[in-house]
Amino acid sequence: MAVDTTTYVPAPSRTSAYLDWLQMLTGAGLILFMWSHMILVASVIPTPRLMNAIAHFLEATYMAQVGGPIIACTFLLHFVLAARKVPFRVEQQSTIWKLSRQLRHTDTYLWLIQAVTAMVILIMGCIHMWTVLTDLPITAAKSAARIQGGFWLVFYLILLPMVELHVGIGFYRIAVKWGFARRKDRKSFKKLETYLTAIFVAIGLMALVRFLTLSV
Amino acid sequence: MGRRLKFNIFRYNPQDPDSVPHTDTFYLAETESMTLFIALTDIREEQDSSLQFDFCCRAGICGACAMMINGRPNLACKTLTKDLPDEITLMPLPIFKLIGDLSVDTGTWFREMNEKVESWVHTSKSFDPSADEERMDDAVAEEIYELERCIECGCCVAACGTANMRRDFVGAVAMNRIARFMLDPRDQRTEAEYFEIIGTDEGIFGCMGLLGCEDVCPKHLPLQDQLGILRRKMGWSAVKELFRFGK
Repeated sequence: MAVDTTTYVPAPSRTSAYLDWLQMLTGAGLILFMWSHMILVASVIPTPRLMNAIAHFLEATYMAQVGGPIIACTFLLHFVLAARKVPFRVEQQSTIWKLSRQLRHTDTYLWLIQAVTAMVILIMGCIHMWTVLTDLPITAAKSAARIQGGFWLVFYLILLPMVELHVGIGFYRIAVKWGFARRKDRKSFKKLETYLTAIFVAIGLMALVRFLTLSV
Repeated sequence: MGRRLKFNIFRYNPQDPDSVPHTDTFYLAETESMTLFIALTDIREEQDSSLQFDFCCRAGICGACAMMINGRPNLACKTLTKDLPDEITLMPLPIFKLIGDLSVDTGTWFREMNEKVESWVHTSKSFDPSADEERMDDAVAEEIYELERCIECGCCVAACGTANMRRDFVGAVAMNRIARFMLDPRDQRTEAEYFEIIGTDEGIFGCMGLLGCEDVCPKHLPLQDQLGILRRKMGWSAVKELFRFGK
């Protein structure tokens, strides 16, 4: 029950606007990062030497050592900002699930997927970043050894689709929320989102297979 | 034709202490061009005179007959039974106060919303009844009219994930309302004044872009476009303030 007991009017504030900007910008930044990250990892597919060369370049220029923690901070900041919208109360949870089932509305479902994948990515992404960044330099042989251990294969088979779904939906959501995709463009944006997600999952799977079959 | 329709209708009268929320089932023979308005009237006339639901214009203009039709909000008067399966489930709109069965009070909510967004032309000019009416560009008038077509049925609010979770969220209807006055050259409100009303988490920045509103609006108002425009406008307005030094 909401009873208005205040005798004052809250001062006008621009905080909501700034937080929304930050949420969008960190999101867009992470989308671009995830796509480039996937392409860099996929460099193992033609030859592991290419991947090693790229990894070496990123470490020699300290982009990995400095960029890694920056990405990790952006990742956590994006979580905190976006969590303002995630229903953590049981009542809100049951409301949104019931509504989605009732409406049978794709975009509402997509948002639920975004929220669920977010929680998985938060935990698994942290584990991934810790594991990789505390064991520099990155080499194709080290990655292959990890994947061939078995545990990490399962780990990445879960993390890969979670990330690509979250990133793809996020891309579409930013486009409709900020008016980049208008009513007439919505269908094609959604198609683009589906293709991008499918393509990046495919690239990721190919890279995993390559690591799995690489002789260490 | 010739179908036998099964109606599951939500029943509850909050005024009656003995009333318990439940579903009643009715059967009805489908007739040609049958709308839900015709079907509900038939059920009330022939089967249960206590059934409560709202209707006024029967032509998709007044917005009184919005209800959840097989889970989706829509106007009962413009929904043809031939577009629905044999089994039809009718529930009242969520969020709004239940009057009884399928009838909800959208009026109180909309009054509050209109007061919150100050849904009228703000001008310092005094009205002169003997003067010629002020001219308005045709294109602007058309643009305003496009948004003015809202019938305040409440479908966009009922389909909104955000509004369902957070009761302080104003919903697409309020943003559409504000967008209409922003277009109106007679309204002298500044961007900062609009921002104060709508540039919050209860307003445009609370919108999560699920687009339930866009997809259920029975009048097909361009809600997605308006929400996008508004978010950008309000977003830039905040950024401009950030870089404004001194006064």
